[in-house]
Amino acid sequence: MFRLLEESGFTRVRSAVVPRFRFRKESTQNSAEAYGVKAVMMTAVKPPRP
Amino acid sequence: MTDPVDEQAPLEAVLKDEILRMYQEVADNPSGSFHFFHGREAAELFGYAPEWLDRAPASAVDSFAGVGNPHERSNLQPGETVLDLGSGAGLDAIIASWCIGPSGKVIGVDLNPAMCLKVQAHAAATGTQMECQVGRMEDIPVPSDSVDVVISNGVINLSFRKRRVVEEIFRVLRPGGRISITDIVSAKQLSQSIVNDPKLWAS
Repeated sequence: MFRLLEESGFTRVRSAVVPRFRFRKESTQNSAEAYGVKAVMMTAVKPPRP
Repeated sequence: MTDPVDEQAPLEAVLKDEILRMYQEVADNPSGSFHFFHGREAAELFGYAPEWLDRAPASAVDSFAGVGNPHERSNLQPGETVLDLGSGAGLDAIIASWCIGPSGKVIGVDLNPAMCLKVQAHAAATGTQMECQVGRMEDIPVPSDSVDVVISNGVINLSFRKRRVVEEIFRVLRPGGRISITDIVSAKQLSQSIVNDPKLWAS
C-alpha cells in the first residue's frame, strides 16, 4: 500500500501501525498474525501544481 | 494472453456480493458476533472521542466497522471538502462534517445503496452537510481535482484492484490535497485458498 501510494504520485507518504487493532476471534487473530496482517494508518499528499 | 484482472472478474463479482452481505449484516444486526470488533466497542478501542460517540446517531455508532481512526491525523479544517471512501453507515463522515463545519462538505461513497440511505438519514438527523454517492472505489463517482481530503477506514483492502483505487483517490484530490486512511495490510502474500474464498477476503 505504501509503495502503491508512492508509485501513484503521492508524496510525504507516512504510515504507522494502529496499535490496538486485533480481531475478536482468536482463530482469526492467529491466522492474521501468521500472515503479518496488521492495521495501519497512512497519510500522504498529492503534490501541488508547480 | 489473458489479463489477470479479467481472470479475477468472476471472483470479484462474488466478492462484491459477500462484502454487501457482511456489512449489511453488521448494520442490520449490530448486536451480533463478528470476527472483528465493531460498534462503540471498536470506536473506543481506536480512540474515538466519547463525546463524538455520544453525539452521533446510535445506528451510525452501532454499525461502525472500521479498523482504526482516520481522524487522528486528518487535520480537517473548516470549509474543506472531504470524501469518505466506503462510508458505510456514516460515523466517520458525520465526525468529518463536524470538523469542517457548515461551510465544508462531506461526500460519502459506498457500494451499498442502503448504506447511502442511512448516511442521508443521519445527515438530516444531525443537520450536517453530507451527501452519499453509490459507487465503487475503483471508479469513484466524483469529479477530478474536487476534494481536499480523502478519508477511508478498512475498505481499500477489500478491493482486488488496489492500484486502481489509489489512482482514483489521486485523481479526485485537488493538487495539494491529502489522505488520511486506516486499513489492513499483509506482510506476506495471502494463500490462494484465502484469495479464492470471498468470505475470507471480505473479512
